[in-house]
Amino acid sequence: MPDRREHWGSKLGVILAVAGSAVGLGNFLRFPAKAVLNGGGAFLVPYFVAFLLLGIPLVWVEWTMGRLGGQHGHGTAPGMFDAIARRRAWKYIGTIGVLGPFIILIYYMYIESWTLGYTWFSFTGRLFTAGDQSSIKAFLQGYQGVAQNGFFSSVWTAYGFFLITFVVNFFFIYRGIQGGIEKLSRWGMPALVLIAILLAIRVLTLGTPDPARPDLSVGNALGFVWNPDFNALTQAKVWLEAAGQIFFTLSVGIGVILTYASYLKQNDDVALSGLTAASTNEFCEVILGGSIVIPAAFIFLGGIGAMEVVSGGIFNLGFVTMPMIFEKLPLGFLFCGLWFLLLFIAGITSSVSLILPAVTFLADEFGMTRKRATLILAAIAFAACQPVIFFLSHGFLDEMDFWAGTFFLVLFGTIEIILFGWVFGIDKAWRELEVGALIRVPGFYKYIIKYVTPIYLLTMLGVWGYQQFIPVILMENVAPADRPYIWGARGMILALWVMVGILVRVSWRRRAEREVAR
Amino acid sequence: MTAGGVVFMVLSWGLVLGLAIYSFSKVLRGK
Repeated sequence: MPDRREHWGSKLGVILAVAGSAVGLGNFLRFPAKAVLNGGGAFLVPYFVAFLLLGIPLVWVEWTMGRLGGQHGHGTAPGMFDAIARRRAWKYIGTIGVLGPFIILIYYMYIESWTLGYTWFSFTGRLFTAGDQSSIKAFLQGYQGVAQNGFFSSVWTAYGFFLITFVVNFFFIYRGIQGGIEKLSRWGMPALVLIAILLAIRVLTLGTPDPARPDLSVGNALGFVWNPDFNALTQAKVWLEAAGQIFFTLSVGIGVILTYASYLKQNDDVALSGLTAASTNEFCEVILGGSIVIPAAFIFLGGIGAMEVVSGGIFNLGFVTMPMIFEKLPLGFLFCGLWFLLLFIAGITSSVSLILPAVTFLADEFGMTRKRATLILAAIAFAACQPVIFFLSHGFLDEMDFWAGTFFLVLFGTIEIILFGWVFGIDKAWRELEVGALIRVPGFYKYIIKYVTPIYLLTMLGVWGYQQFIPVILMENVAPADRPYIWGARGMILALWVMVGILVRVSWRRRAEREVAR
Repeated sequence: MTAGGVVFMVLSWGLVLGLAIYSFSKVLRGK
């Protein structure tokens, strides 16, 4: 174990870091699309309910367990769960908290590199050589190496941007908690908010650009997002979608908050800090996220067009529709560049958080310096990223996103809440949460954490598992030619999982031997 | 935008802003 654990430089620093981890592409793309598809303004009812009963409890659980783990010298779930549960199996259960972030990282970082590439293509005007929707789509496919066309002859441009992104990410990790991540967040988050506000103002001042279509106004555009369809409230699907969105947007159930919080000092507050980080995320999501993409799509494409686009997926929305819209504006290339820069900042503050658990795991459990652990992990991550890049068109990325980006989250969140409220014991856990707290957490949250959130999560797991898990497992929507790649992705996840498990076993053995030797 | 839309937007923005202002002011005061 390293002699002294690193710590965050300031309360604001850790809050912005966690907020940065949470704020990502989903805030600006996924949320508004989900709202439109699930009742508009009415969606905010199940959304806020999920925030209060699912999101915030898990936020507090992760911050608390993280800080506690750090005091025991464990910055990741295997060690934390072991220290808390004091039963052998739990350190293996905790491996999800090391594996999950790593799996997400290796595809997330590639997507993030697209935003960097597109920032460059926007500012240099190359993107706008694609004049209409099908061209811009072709631009993306050419860039990804999925199709060969006049825009790109191969995937190597994308690979170049990936390399830059990769190096920049690991550079911040190498610099450490204060010198790297905190500094990135203290600059990145304000910049992100500023850019987003600028873009929102640009969209909301569009007025009615087409005189022939006076109904395509800003007012109606906002209505497209916010007008409530109360029928949605009677549908279980909507409640499930809202719960899912809260989960993904707050970055709970991954393990990154656990690790970030492990670098807190013993008496650092977690209650107010967790709430503030979460509220920052909500600001970016509900206010800023709801004011850029969808209103812009409505104003230029109309209601039906916007609905089509929303149903077409996040990538199309962000990488095809938005450039197309910006192209129609004066100084469009500038706003387009700012849009992708926004996504890049949102991405990198998230991806560094995804790297940290694995690095922390190696450092804490094997006594490595952070720098050495960073280099080792960089090598492994680099290798793991290759199939994601080169097998993109075969569904490799989507498969990883299903397991690590969806299933593991809900599973891990359920495990965490049960560990906190039942295994650790809600009374002891509550006292731990209150250590150093700068706000009084309402007492009824004890009841919520112990009973309501677990039931909410188990219901989510059950229903969603039945609806989505089985079809995905059986590869129902996968073309036969792509099946080997899906198996490859699953094999890779399994192999990495086994590797983490072995590392846990080895490190615990070594520690036990050192204890005996004393 | 309908009246309902305005209500939901204003309420949502208000809740989120209120929470953010409340928590950040406490953090900055605590320094």
